[in-house]
Amino acid sequence: MEITFAVLLWGVRIAFLLLLYLFLLRAFGVLHRSLVAERAGDSATRALGVLVVERSAGHAPRVGERFSLRASTSIGRDAGNDVPLSDEAASARHAVLELRDGDWWIEDLGSTNGTLVNGTRIERAERLRFGDELAIGRIAMRIEKGAG
Amino acid sequence: MTRSIAANIRGLTLVIALAFLVTSLGVGYWTLVAGNELSTDPYNPRLVAAIRDRPRGFITDAAGTKLAESAQVGNTFKRVYADKTLAHVTGYASFQFGASGIEAAYADSLIGQDPADPLSQWRARYLRERAPPGSVVLGIDPKVQQAAVAALGNRRGAIVALDPRNGMILASASWPQYDASLISDPATEESAWKGVSEHPDRPLINRATQGLYPPGSTFKIITGAAALETGIDPNAKVRVDDPWQADRSWGSYFVRSSSRAHGDYTMADAFRLSENIYFAKIGLQIGGPKLAEYAQRFGIGSATRCDIPAARGQLSSTGQLDRPTLIADTSYGQGQILASPLQMALVAASIGMGGVMPTPHYATEVRDAEGHAIRVIAPGPSGQVIALETARALTTMLVGAVEGPGAFAFAAKIPGVRVAGKTGSAENPSGAPHGWFVGFAPAEAPTVAVAILLENTARGGEDAAPLGGRVMQAALGR
Amino acid sequence: MIALTRRRPELGLLFWVAAVGITGSVAVAAAEAAGFRPQQLVIPVTFVAVAFVLHVFLAARGVRGDQLLLPLAAVLTAIGLVLVQRLASNLLLQQLSWTFIAAGAFAATILIPRDITALSRFKWTWAILGLLLLMSPLLPVVGREVNGARIWIGLGSVNFEPWEVVKILLVVFFAAYLEEFREVLAQTQRRFGPIPVPPVPYLVPIVAMWAIAMVVMVFEKDLGATLLFLGIFLAMLYLATGEAFYTLIGLALLVVGGFVAYQAFGHVAARVDVWLHPFSEEVRFDAGYQLVQGLFALGNGGLFGAGLGNGMPERIPVVWSDFVFDAFAEEVGFAGALALLALYLLFVYRGMLIALRAPTPFLQLLAAGLSFIVALQTLVIVGGNARLIPLTGITLPFVAYGGSSLVTNWMLVALLIRVSDATARVRGTP
Repeated sequence: MEITFAVLLWGVRIAFLLLLYLFLLRAFGVLHRSLVAERAGDSATRALGVLVVERSAGHAPRVGERFSLRASTSIGRDAGNDVPLSDEAASARHAVLELRDGDWWIEDLGSTNGTLVNGTRIERAERLRFGDELAIGRIAMRIEKGAG
Repeated sequence: MTRSIAANIRGLTLVIALAFLVTSLGVGYWTLVAGNELSTDPYNPRLVAAIRDRPRGFITDAAGTKLAESAQVGNTFKRVYADKTLAHVTGYASFQFGASGIEAAYADSLIGQDPADPLSQWRARYLRERAPPGSVVLGIDPKVQQAAVAALGNRRGAIVALDPRNGMILASASWPQYDASLISDPATEESAWKGVSEHPDRPLINRATQGLYPPGSTFKIITGAAALETGIDPNAKVRVDDPWQADRSWGSYFVRSSSRAHGDYTMADAFRLSENIYFAKIGLQIGGPKLAEYAQRFGIGSATRCDIPAARGQLSSTGQLDRPTLIADTSYGQGQILASPLQMALVAASIGMGGVMPTPHYATEVRDAEGHAIRVIAPGPSGQVIALETARALTTMLVGAVEGPGAFAFAAKIPGVRVAGKTGSAENPSGAPHGWFVGFAPAEAPTVAVAILLENTARGGEDAAPLGGRVMQAALGR
Repeated sequence: MIALTRRRPELGLLFWVAAVGITGSVAVAAAEAAGFRPQQLVIPVTFVAVAFVLHVFLAARGVRGDQLLLPLAAVLTAIGLVLVQRLASNLLLQQLSWTFIAAGAFAATILIPRDITALSRFKWTWAILGLLLLMSPLLPVVGREVNGARIWIGLGSVNFEPWEVVKILLVVFFAAYLEEFREVLAQTQRRFGPIPVPPVPYLVPIVAMWAIAMVVMVFEKDLGATLLFLGIFLAMLYLATGEAFYTLIGLALLVVGGFVAYQAFGHVAARVDVWLHPFSEEVRFDAGYQLVQGLFALGNGGLFGAGLGNGMPERIPVVWSDFVFDAFAEEVGFAGALALLALYLLFVYRGMLIALRAPTPFLQLLAAGLSFIVALQTLVIVGGNARLIPLTGITLPFVAYGGSSLVTNWMLVALLIRVSDATARVRGTP
């Protein structure tokens, strides 16, 4: 009986070591698969985007100026914005252009005069596609694919 | 242009990965490489784990008297030692301070897992089985041990007597002593340890195997052996005039004769009267390298193979003899030589055994719980150190050193027995010289070889010689 | 139910975690009692249940992104519970209670704040809060001194080490500050030959912050935390700027500082002496006793270990918090120790991967900094246990006994998961 117990106990000890290594292997497997999935997901969303200025009120922004889009790009009259607009019609913090789930969204931050997408004033937030035109005051910009 | 954060992250990750690799190697070293060495460290509590929770086997002397045994204290066990004079041999066994001596060297055997029985070790590690404890029998002969202890008294030093035919150690005395039972008792171990480890006279050292001293004139045996084997004629007379130096380049250094000698000496004379200048002269004839070679052959400067650790000693601080003054000094036993009493006893034993040096050992047998011998400890000789003729010639001269007219070692005489021996007085910086005597008897077919060492004794070798006689006599009465 | 299936890989791994935790606990308990009783399973099963609850919580909240960190943290915590059971079974219930608190802290960190980027807006708050917490052990009533180091605060019978939280706050602060500093650096970069000339006014606040932290640590006599903060500072600086020069200066300062500390502080000199000569006669029975016993334990481990419950780790003083690694290595051998190191490396690697993919510089720096904390802590403690560097007071993350460490490390995991979640939302990946 003593010997069977001793053997069983050693069996449990060996099992512990084995399970530890098996966990490691499985974890590596999960990591590998998730990395592959992430890469695949990345290439599926062509997320890089650029705002190209088409019409402007004065010299800020200049016509033709390109702004690289980040995960979250702020637009407004205040100089601290990522895209500063020197139009009286623009509010200090007017809107934000965000990447959500691989898509570009424009969200109006409660501005006085509103934001237009392809000529239509947006309610609050709207999904954009490459080629859409944003208008704030007298400034119009187009969202394009690319890195600027 | 600053680097992208992503690139920095990659760089940092690489550094981290390398650091993990180095750390793994470090861990690997301690678990895989250093494991063996650590497990035999006497302070490793795993070694003494079996002290507290189970009885350990006996350590007995040759007559069967128990020197060490386990006593039960409630649910646990502790070691008690019957003979304080052998504490330096048996060692102690403490949970906190580890084990030493026989307790450490034969730790496995004492818990029934002797290497001669590999199955028991396997069963213990994997099945957690407790084998019944075995016992270790030492070669210590109670009569000889008694004589050695009585002879040494309470003078700092050591006496070791061994059987030159097989290396078995018959007696081992070392002073000062300590009480191993106090260190092995959990109730007293801390205070006892503090006491002995901080004592200025260092009682924990086994002076017989670990004490290192300049051998003094006893080294002349080695010089003489080297001389004979390099063809120097022992009967050629060498002029001795005290004091002596080889040439002016020695400056104020002179070799001094202990008897202010002026005369012609043969080697036999030089041994009998322990003449330093004779040996210094022939030492220079032999030359540094050859002398060093013979010292090495006799084991000076090497770790003696014994079952409990023995000190290494040295021939000189560099191991070489490069200057004439150093060669001269070393030839008559001063210089920078350091040897243990055990090493010098082995030198004497080799001469007595026709040039064959035995391997010393304290333990003779390991027995299982029923008393059957499972392992006999009888290591063969360590080698032929000098030729038979050389040994015979030296024996005759060493007998002369004890029995001849004016012999310095006369006090070692034993009635009815031819004793061969040599005294030594080793100068040392701290006051009175150390007194040595090494010898063996009976000279023609010895059954005992001794080394006596008295620290800082007024008349040096003269004080040691009579002790040698007494101990050898006790051994001969076996 | 649909939500639950989104985190399938995590669920699968948690079953393995359960297996590891229960097997280890059974082995230890059976070895000790020379038998097996089902009651012994209560603790590991309870913890496994907690881990599953956290998984369900994440799935129900719709948290996306990484699915590896929760199981990794869980398996490390489970191993920790097995070791506490083995080494200090009287503290087991306490450690289990701390795991409940840690789980709560984890859940709270997942929920608050709504937007993780908001963390970067309060950087000075974190900095000041961090310094205040760091100094709190020096206060008269709540501050406690333990073993010569004044790094604890206690409320009643519960003791807490504030520096554990501070290390996270500092990383958040550094990440936020360096994000801005990076842009300034990019615009005003000047070089004096090979040496970069930093925009000094911007460098001053961050160096000052760090210097105050160091001074406080020196007063509190915590060698390990000081080393950790220095490491974090240098790493964050390197991550943000990529300037090897700053790192070299920092390392040079470390060497100089270490030398000064060796001369000036007795306890530092003592640690270095123990590291250099642990087996010498004067040291091995006194200051070096702990390390020597730890090394004996490692030596006994061999390749496959002496077996769970079979070694003698109890000879090592305070083994359950300072030397768990050696105790673990003694019983599971080099094989087991290597697996443990691999688990930590995997954790750090996963954290760095999360950092690489994060959408904003702040989140990148945050994730990388948090991962670095775990890496540095592990390397320093294992290095000390294996005599590669002198011993410090830090403990092995997740595994060693210690409530504050466990709680803050689980919060760290939650933060990393949130960064991963934010990345997934931005990029549109699961």
